[in-house]
Amino acid sequence: MNTETIQTHRKKFLREDGMLFVRTDGIIDTMTRIPLLVASLIIVVALIPIQSSFGSPRNLDLMIYPDGTTHVSTEIDVDPLSIDHELDLFGSTIDNFVVINENGFLLNYEIIGNSVLIETFGSSVITVEYDIHDLISKQSRVWTFFLDSPSDFTLLFPKNSAIIGMTNLPIDMQLINDQNQLTLSSGETEINYLFSTPIISTPVEPIDSSPEPNYLIYGIVGGIIASAIIATIIRIKQKTTKLTQKQQIIPVEPIDTEEIFKLKPDIREDDKEIVKFISNNGGQALESELRKKFLQPRTTMWRAVKRLERNGIIEIEKKDLQNLVKLRKNIEEEE
Amino acid sequence: MKILALFTIFVLIFGTTSFVNDAYAQNDLSILLHITTQADKQIQNQLHQVYGNDVPEKIQSLYDKGHMTVNSLEKSLPDDVKQAKKDFLTSMKLFKQISKMISEPVVKVQIIVSHVDQSSQLDRLEKHVLTLKTISKKLDAKINFENIDNLLIQTRNQINDGTENPSETIIQLKSSIKSIQKDIRDSTSNDASDKVKQFLTKHLDVIKSKLSKATESGADQNQINKAHELIDEIKALIDKHQINDAKIVFHELHKLLKNIQYSVS
Repeated sequence: MNTETIQTHRKKFLREDGMLFVRTDGIIDTMTRIPLLVASLIIVVALIPIQSSFGSPRNLDLMIYPDGTTHVSTEIDVDPLSIDHELDLFGSTIDNFVVINENGFLLNYEIIGNSVLIETFGSSVITVEYDIHDLISKQSRVWTFFLDSPSDFTLLFPKNSAIIGMTNLPIDMQLINDQNQLTLSSGETEINYLFSTPIISTPVEPIDSSPEPNYLIYGIVGGIIASAIIATIIRIKQKTTKLTQKQQIIPVEPIDTEEIFKLKPDIREDDKEIVKFISNNGGQALESELRKKFLQPRTTMWRAVKRLERNGIIEIEKKDLQNLVKLRKNIEEEE
Repeated sequence: MKILALFTIFVLIFGTTSFVNDAYAQNDLSILLHITTQADKQIQNQLHQVYGNDVPEKIQSLYDKGHMTVNSLEKSLPDDVKQAKKDFLTSMKLFKQISKMISEPVVKVQIIVSHVDQSSQLDRLEKHVLTLKTISKKLDAKINFENIDNLLIQTRNQINDGTENPSETIIQLKSSIKSIQKDIRDSTSNDASDKVKQFLTKHLDVIKSKLSKATESGADQNQINKAHELIDEIKALIDKHQINDAKIVFHELHKLLKNIQYSVS
């Protein structure tokens, strides 16, 4: 069967003078498909913030307590394909740290200086909460909050506090349970505030010197509280001294490492150093301490510890989610 | 169609930023006046408390400037946004300066400060316990918080009454919180381990296929062999339900993959 192909479209675009005319109007329609283009652009634009937002907070909420400690609460998108996530903290004095993933599971973490390494293992969103003492300083009666924030954030002030200085313009302000909450932009922010009710200074206001019977009561109450505090301090000091004395008295049984090395002649030189350190440390040390001492990565130290455990030189105990490495008292001779 | 496409692109590119700016502009103006007025009143109150009618000339002059700036800010609203913002920052700077000057001679009572500290410390611990309760409830961990609740009440009473030193109870409270955290972890350890197990198993398959490709493209065979050994080790640990150990070896594998320029992803 013969088929004849007739090329008609070429002639269709030829002008009378025979010149080739290319219609620019139809190029997009013929060469690309607009819906495809639009869809691609939407996907690209939508993905840009997602890609760049790994590690940046979805939200960041701060709350200042009356003593200047700040509670930080933040939700962060993390890479679900990653095994861990390193998060910069706003300082190094951290309390009450807790991190959970989107399923509500408590995640393991390790705080190192101003950052925390969180084991995410497939989590896509983590919620971190902690208290920090580094964000507020106090000079006389004026409290100063300072933060260089990576994102916009809200800041809840304590009750009876009044803002008296600010370096930035706030985005929003709300009143929550008689407490001011500001929404602030990312970047450096300094805010000064003081307590409008003079709780702290009233008893010793030096201006009015007229004698009033109330001062006597203040004096007595102040005296009692002062005595109580002095007594507490003395008690704590005594306790600490006793404790120190006790600690000094407890005899640290010297463990003869040479004896261990005789019994286990095949252990590696670097493992011997670990054994010596544990021995000098009273026969036990945390695995993290060993890592710090020998500047070894986590896995290397883990392997060394496991090796020593297999050799019957040490035993591993769990203590506050950490590995406590102890020298065994009865080490059997290698066969 | 072409117009629709262009419009979509335009909205996508310029839309978000302009909406954000509009929201900011609408919100901030009345807030600025609210904050400065509050600060103005506070400073006035402080001046009256500390100096009565004999406010030092320098401080009075600064306050007058600050007060005038607040008035100027009020007049600038709502039209002159630029001037309003400038007035806000100027007035806040002046009030801060005055406040520091006022505070200089005042003697602080450390006793009451320490009292506030303990109260705040308890507030923080209470909030932390609340967070743990929420986590426990969400995970259906069935943790008993009764002891910790009693300790919280006891500490609060000690602080309010001032008759007994709450330090000991606070130490007990902290210890109980640690133990509760451990209980939550223990009660959910199976589920959490399952999740990690799923993650590791899924990624080991991906890594294996990538290692095959790496072999084909001539990557260092020793390192590839080592990676395979680690994979086998992880699998063995998973089979033995030693998930924590499996995680540690996975870290090692991850580093090795980086060395042979293959990421897990």
